[in-house]
Amino acid sequence: MTAPPLLRMQHISQSFGAVQALIDVDFQVNHHEIVALVGDNAAGKSTLARIIAGVDQPASGTIWINGEAVTLSRSAVAQSYGIATVFQGLALAENLDVTANIFLGREVREHGLLAEEYMETLARGYLQRLNARIPSPRTPVSHLSAGQRQCVAIARTLVGEPQLIVLDEPTASLSVSQTAEVLTYIQSLRSLGLGVVLISHNLTDVRAVADRIDVLRHGRLNGSFTAPHDAYEGIIAAITGATTIRH
Amino acid sequence: MRDKAIGLGYSHHVAGKVMSSGSQSALREANSARLLTAVRRFGGITQVELADATGLSPATVSTIVKQLLAAGTVETRTTTRSGRRAQLVTLAHKSGLLVGVHVGMRALEIAVADSGFNVLANQTLPLPSDHRLDTTLDRTALLTVELVEGLGSTTAEIVGIGIGVPAPIDPQAGTIRDQGLMKGWGDVPIADVVSARLNTPVAVDNDCNMAALGEARFGAARGYRDVLYVHSSYGTGAGLIIGGELHRGPRGTAGEIGHVLMDPQGPICRCGSRGCLDTLVGVQALIDSLRISQGPLSLGDLLERASAGDPGCRQVIADAGAAIGVAVANLAVVLNPEIVIVGGELAQTEDVFLEPIRAAVNRRVLISRDDTLEVRRGELQSLAPVQGALAFAADLAHVTAFA
Repeated sequence: MTAPPLLRMQHISQSFGAVQALIDVDFQVNHHEIVALVGDNAAGKSTLARIIAGVDQPASGTIWINGEAVTLSRSAVAQSYGIATVFQGLALAENLDVTANIFLGREVREHGLLAEEYMETLARGYLQRLNARIPSPRTPVSHLSAGQRQCVAIARTLVGEPQLIVLDEPTASLSVSQTAEVLTYIQSLRSLGLGVVLISHNLTDVRAVADRIDVLRHGRLNGSFTAPHDAYEGIIAAITGATTIRH
Repeated sequence: MRDKAIGLGYSHHVAGKVMSSGSQSALREANSARLLTAVRRFGGITQVELADATGLSPATVSTIVKQLLAAGTVETRTTTRSGRRAQLVTLAHKSGLLVGVHVGMRALEIAVADSGFNVLANQTLPLPSDHRLDTTLDRTALLTVELVEGLGSTTAEIVGIGIGVPAPIDPQAGTIRDQGLMKGWGDVPIADVVSARLNTPVAVDNDCNMAALGEARFGAARGYRDVLYVHSSYGTGAGLIIGGELHRGPRGTAGEIGHVLMDPQGPICRCGSRGCLDTLVGVQALIDSLRISQGPLSLGDLLERASAGDPGCRQVIADAGAAIGVAVANLAVVLNPEIVIVGGELAQTEDVFLEPIRAAVNRRVLISRDDTLEVRRGELQSLAPVQGALAFAADLAHVTAFA
């Protein structure tokens, strides 16, 4: 008797005008699992991520969360199902500090007033949990390095106790040390029982932590690889189309 | 999530605010301690950041930093932050940095310490199962530079680097002997390559040997001259300390107990022989046996579930202990060690893994007739290979200093 998957998507299709961004894609993430979504640019990875986040709605297909059929009509709906997303642009407010960014849109209030000290305390905790070298949660985000901003964006996902975290290129433009932090953090999310969708061009990072690697090519699923058995070369072949799955 | 976040790192801030002990000096001490904790946590931190991080006023921070400077506890140097000049505060360290590196099967671990073996910075990077030599050595060099510069130091201050790898090292050539184990690792003089990249002395050895060295210098093997150290991780290996010295053998393969014969009819091992110990207790064998009932597991999953009480996982680990126990018992009969120390990930399950080894060892009448041979878990646990690598680096530095 196994639990239903955390996230299950079937026959997902999406078009933008004449462009078919996703064609009949099946995708699934279980609890306590890291699934990597890889593929060339315009393969459809970010399109799929936006559908999971509730930002876009698929043209067709069904989505289940923990076995319950759902419609992720808005990002707030996705968040209510415990889906947290960090997009590539990070979407941080440059004019605000670290704490304000972490709680943006989900500020904690007490008697109608912002619970500043409480949020600052939580922010400190999240940053420490991520081993982020950001000494003060009141630092303006505009003063932070690329890696530090990534940490703030990821810290945002901790608010609201998510069950699924989608990360779009989390290690791009990070130093080795920062990459190590983020990968270790992703592993700890898995240990806590969360599901993680990891979109990345960096196959070494992906193969360091992913349980399964799904390859998208021109909007279609072109292979699913279970690390560590599957060789690097096989995944590359699926990304470039040297090998194709018959549809 | 709420309570956990409050528990994490907030307590010392709260403590500071409700400070009630009256005297000035007690307050100064508490503030000093808070400041040092922040410096220790961040490696290198500017005075402005310290004020933010501790909640102390910039004036107080300045005063305390001056006191700590005078006492020789911290060092300062000028740096830039957001385009402005700032004073970077770091812990003062005895001159000379040591770097310990453990290249594991699934992770790269680096620690930077001072010559007193106080770890100043460390980092672990997860790696894919077939990570390639060129990428991993690149990352080793880059990560070392990042950690050292994060301390406000330069690589010129490094006096020695020790590297442990999960394969036997030929002492003459400095290369990995067992080519089949790691892709693209054969024939590369690892120490020379890293030494050229960082312009420092580097020494490489097998990671079980490093872990044994670590336990001998800092852990459970202190005070013993004859120790059988067993390391059970993705594969199993041993470090043999005989007459106070780590025994490597002329080709560096001494201690490869993962390749002792357990079953003449057994499966073929990656080394080419049949029925090696690793074919029974290597991570693949452990995980395959649970695939049908529990699906694909990682080594970490297996250990977590066993510690949580899962009977299938506990059985697999206990059986591994029993098999390793046979090999260890045989070795103990031959070597007559004073103590057996067990480390590596499988030892995290404590007695689940250790009891079967203990039982197998002491079933040998020759061993248990006069006295029980103690089988103990290593003290350094997951840090053993890195700490051993630091000790190895220190030995190298002393040798180099007198060269």
